[in-house]
Amino acid sequence: MLGRIFAFAAVASLATSPAWAEIARVKSSVGAAAIERGTARLPAAPGLQLNPGDRLVTGKDGRISLSFIDNTRFSVGPNSRILVNEFAYDRTRQQGTFLTQVDRGSLAIVSGHIAKSGRDAMKVRTPNSLLGVRGTRFIVEVSK
Amino acid sequence: MSARLGAAAGLGLLLASCGGSSLMLLPDEAGGHGAVAVLEANGKPMEAVVSEPDSRTKLGSASASPRPMGKMNADEVALLSGMPPPARSYTLYFVEGTTELAPESRPVLDEIKEEIARRPGVDVEVTGHTDTVGKAEDNDVLSQQRAEEIVGVLATVGIDRSLMTAVGRGERDLRVPTMDNVENPLNRRVEILVR
Repeated sequence: MLGRIFAFAAVASLATSPAWAEIARVKSSVGAAAIERGTARLPAAPGLQLNPGDRLVTGKDGRISLSFIDNTRFSVGPNSRILVNEFAYDRTRQQGTFLTQVDRGSLAIVSGHIAKSGRDAMKVRTPNSLLGVRGTRFIVEVSK
Repeated sequence: MSARLGAAAGLGLLLASCGGSSLMLLPDEAGGHGAVAVLEANGKPMEAVVSEPDSRTKLGSASASPRPMGKMNADEVALLSGMPPPARSYTLYFVEGTTELAPESRPVLDEIKEEIARRPGVDVEVTGHTDTVGKAEDNDVLSQQRAEEIVGVLATVGIDRSLMTAVGRGERDLRVPTMDNVENPLNRRVEILVR
């Protein structure tokens, strides 16, 4: 019995530890495609887990696709630089907030639970505008 | 006609050379369409809702004027076809009060394994659901524990534990809508989302 209690406590602390929580996984990539995390540059290999604050960076032949834990999906085109500024999601209530910044390049989005969870809970910033996502499939392009 | 095409291409070049942003609103995969609100242009608050499907909107001006999208170029087609497939959902039922799969759910387990094998970079969400018997908060805990337990079971039948996350959704998603405090075996289930 004590063992079971300890096991549940360990699981609970894992599940609520935000520093460890994954927010998305890379599903595919081609060409020059990386995730920048602080000063580290990680190849965007399928299965790589994203953290809030990560930057998606592609070269002229690069592409990345990924799915977030709220079912939002991204397809990142070539010559892109995209920052996931903020991603907070409560899997139990299916609510959260999500801010992505497209500095350059192209991003196709199919929005998920966060966009449905509140008005403008999901936002996308470009160098000259701020968008509130009210569903579901769209492309944002920022030319250099 | 060719003059108009020329003008459109010229505009495209202009947009491409001046650091502009643009929005294309597309039909969603179910055939409907949503909307995107423009909340700011060049740092100034505004609110214009773009809801015309298959439209292009130049961003950064005080008003949003969507134009018909016309034909997508090769880059845009490639961008859309690069989107990951939508997640697939499966429902598992268990023999009452046990972690033994109900007989009708056994073939579903095989389908789940095949789907996992088909998807690069796959992740799996295991969500417990209760019926409406008892307090909502208690059902949150119960459904989380149930999901943890089933993650353990799935790990023993060959699903990589590092792919799985347990979620308790309590009584928020009833498969069969009922009043509060109604026992319902169809609502007591575990949903497996393969993403």
